[in-house]
Amino acid sequence: MSTPLAVEAHDLERVYASGTATVAALAGVTLAVRTGEFVAVMGPSGSGKSTLLNVVAGLERPTGGTIRVGGEDLTKLDEEALARHRSKRVGMVFQAFNLLPRYRVVENVALPLAFAGTGRAERLARARALLERLGMSARAEHRTNELSGGELQRAAIARALVGEPAILLADEPTGNLDSANGAALIALLEELHAQGQTVLLVTHDAAIAAQAGRTVRMRDGRVVD
Amino acid sequence: MRASDLLAMSLGNYTRARLRSALTTAGVAIGTALVVLLIALATGAENNVRRSIFSIGDLRLVTVQPFQPGASGLSAVPRTITDDTVTQFKRIAHVDGVYRQFDAPLGTVVEGGEDATIRPQGIEPGAPVDRGDLLAGRHLAVGDRAVAIVPGNLARIIAPSAGGAVGKRVTMRIGGAVKLGSTRIGGSGTPRDYALTIVGVFDEQASQTSMRIPLEDALAAGAENRGLTPDALRQGTGYSGIAIEADDSQNVAGIVRSVQELGFSSFSLKQVVEQIDQGFGVFRGILAGIGGVALLVAAIGIANTMVMSVLERTREIGIMKAVGAAPRDIRTLFLAEAAYVGLFGGILGLALGVGGGQVIERIIRDLNPRANPAAIFVVGPDLALGALALALVVALVAGFLPARRAMRMSALSALRYE
Repeated sequence: MSTPLAVEAHDLERVYASGTATVAALAGVTLAVRTGEFVAVMGPSGSGKSTLLNVVAGLERPTGGTIRVGGEDLTKLDEEALARHRSKRVGMVFQAFNLLPRYRVVENVALPLAFAGTGRAERLARARALLERLGMSARAEHRTNELSGGELQRAAIARALVGEPAILLADEPTGNLDSANGAALIALLEELHAQGQTVLLVTHDAAIAAQAGRTVRMRDGRVVD
Repeated sequence: MRASDLLAMSLGNYTRARLRSALTTAGVAIGTALVVLLIALATGAENNVRRSIFSIGDLRLVTVQPFQPGASGLSAVPRTITDDTVTQFKRIAHVDGVYRQFDAPLGTVVEGGEDATIRPQGIEPGAPVDRGDLLAGRHLAVGDRAVAIVPGNLARIIAPSAGGAVGKRVTMRIGGAVKLGSTRIGGSGTPRDYALTIVGVFDEQASQTSMRIPLEDALAAGAENRGLTPDALRQGTGYSGIAIEADDSQNVAGIVRSVQELGFSSFSLKQVVEQIDQGFGVFRGILAGIGGVALLVAAIGIANTMVMSVLERTREIGIMKAVGAAPRDIRTLFLAEAAYVGLFGGILGLALGVGGGQVIERIIRDLNPRANPAAIFVVGPDLALGALALALVVALVAGFLPARRAMRMSALSALRYE
């Protein structure tokens, strides 16, 4: 197929020293995600799935192998370039929401654009548009400490999407939500996927993984079948 | 990230942490106010001292004395100032005028009674000593002989008023016994009388000289008193002093050196002023140091507060990095917060220092109504800008390491921080 690859990882390694021993969080991961796919990465705790996501996000540097996201070779980027990668090419949603506590929702959503150098008026407009698209307009001007967990995670998704990233990354996004909100969130991800968004989701929950188009299983830092 | 966004975000963080920012800002304000107050008071004190010095005399004058340079008082070695010497003085660079002086022996003004003791000073027309406002009459002019310019107290003995003394003919008696205060001093040589016309009267409060007569008259009286010719007196005893006028007070030091090289000692007000300037320079430095210590303490407070601030916002820093904040953005954010402390603290401190100084000045003036000093408390634009810049620099230096620590944090570990 000639669809460009959103993520292309080859023999990815992430090794770090822990005391006198070395730990391989990733021990040679080869993976490809095509544009427009919804892929779930599943595995037990310690399988390296979060590390894989962090490498794709540019939050961790691999110690071996290659990784291309949206065509860009991440190993060649310096810290400043990786920061730009995080604000423009990927958008990440965390289990713990990770919104800034003392800012309003719309300011949080606009934050990646602020770091990307977008002007205030434009980035707030784009943030509001996105919140409207996700049905969150009513909460746009509230401070984040006034929102429920489900609302916070939706706001986090809005923030992840505001830079129009090539790929949306989600690390156990339903981990801190109750089952109803969790289901609603996965449904939202499916809807976004249906609209063309590439999604890479990490989870330990098989039921959630089943909602994705394809599941990749990991164990001990490797992809397994 | 855009500069305007960085500054706005930092300002937001600064204002959000109300109590903490208020405390660190207050620390900087106090340190700045102290620096401003101390240096302003030192500057005012210096100005007042200079003002009193300036009122004593002209800064361009170098007074040459008939002694060798070095020792003074009883151990001074005499040297004769001759016409040759005067010619040499005239050749020194930047010399505008050379004026000879000869002090005739003590005498009295007969018409003034035995209290009218005088020390006639023979001067040349245009000499620096014979300038300035007169109570009446005129200064010495070229070609004047047998005239005198007398002090006001002498004029009032002779005539009912200073103005009335102008035009009066008096007799100057040189060489007889004179009364100095309550002591009688035996005369030197035979008393001789000289007829003089008073042409001018000066304010005895403003000038130290006794009575001014033409140089030639003084030389003639001095010569007759000793039984010499005026020429022999010039060569032998020499002049009592020379007033050298520089074209600019900046050149006085050079002239003093040249005079010293020619073998004579001299006195100049300018050099006194320069010593005072040096002294005040050291004084100001010490005061600045004291104020600096206060600012140092404030800086330590800022650094401590920022270290804690960075630690508390670890998660926040991780989040910002995760959504695209470059390391330099993080550092700039925290440095800008420190800069706001310095900026607002500096402005507040400057206002406090200026205000406090005005209060102090008002109190001092109220307590000393008769003294009328020049401004006691002087804040010039250099001091104001310097103090602001200092506050800003101090804050930035204090915030540098905490900001760097924030910049270097690993985003992932920051995100995991509870």
